[in-house]
Amino acid sequence: MDIKRSLTVPGRFEYLATIADFIAVAGRDAGFDQDMIFHVQMAVDEACSNVIEHAYQGQDKGDITLSCHCDGKDWVIAIFDTGRPFDPASIPAPNLEPCLEDIKTGGLGLYFMHQLMDEVEFSFDEETGNKLRMVKRGV
Amino acid sequence: MDQGSALEGLRCFAPQGRLDALTVPRFEEGLRDYLEQGRAQLVIDFGDVTYISSSGLRALLTARRLAKSKGGDLKLCRLSPRVYEIFEMVGFTQVFGIYDSVEDAQTAFTSMVTPADEEAD
Repeated sequence: MDIKRSLTVPGRFEYLATIADFIAVAGRDAGFDQDMIFHVQMAVDEACSNVIEHAYQGQDKGDITLSCHCDGKDWVIAIFDTGRPFDPASIPAPNLEPCLEDIKTGGLGLYFMHQLMDEVEFSFDEETGNKLRMVKRGV
Repeated sequence: MDQGSALEGLRCFAPQGRLDALTVPRFEEGLRDYLEQGRAQLVIDFGDVTYISSSGLRALLTARRLAKSKGGDLKLCRLSPRVYEIFEMVGFTQVFGIYDSVEDAQTAFTSMVTPADEEAD
């Protein structure tokens, strides 16, 4: 089943639950299992939280648009914002050594996105802003 | 969000629903307020938590450090399989003492030995 849909919400944390619901409905309609839906929901939640926190540097600074394309096997999510350009290389990888008291959790959201999705690609365009493209491959 | 009920002298926090960037600040504030009052032993009941984001994990880690600095600890219980999976992805199942029930978590404080403590030593 080929499904395309999109959602635009204000860049506010209270819309994270709305975004999660949007992903859940799209995933169910496309026939993906609950594990896959949960993983994509989490990756998208972390991505949209980063947009508000880092790209917009606060709430109510702009919209977040999600586009979702399921072709029956793979699930492609694109997230657009018009905030500051996001450079993933500027985010340090988290140190998750379990026995250390000084575990570093900076970059944890980005870490989850890479763990949960098969492709994570950031790009920036002067006119259209940031675009994050993530792909989850179906089993 | 239920910020806690006294159970045999130990505070038990029971957050509900999603712990995400919207709800974590209030959760974190509740943990900090409690721990800064000098009460360093705290059980967090995750039975009604459906999701925890990286901001929630960071809040737990910060609260754990504060509790440890006061000679106490956090103990977590009743994690759903989804929430447990998130903890596993970042190795937090080895950092926090995680128990099946509130009672088990409370009992663990009487011995003050957790799986993480044993491994760290």
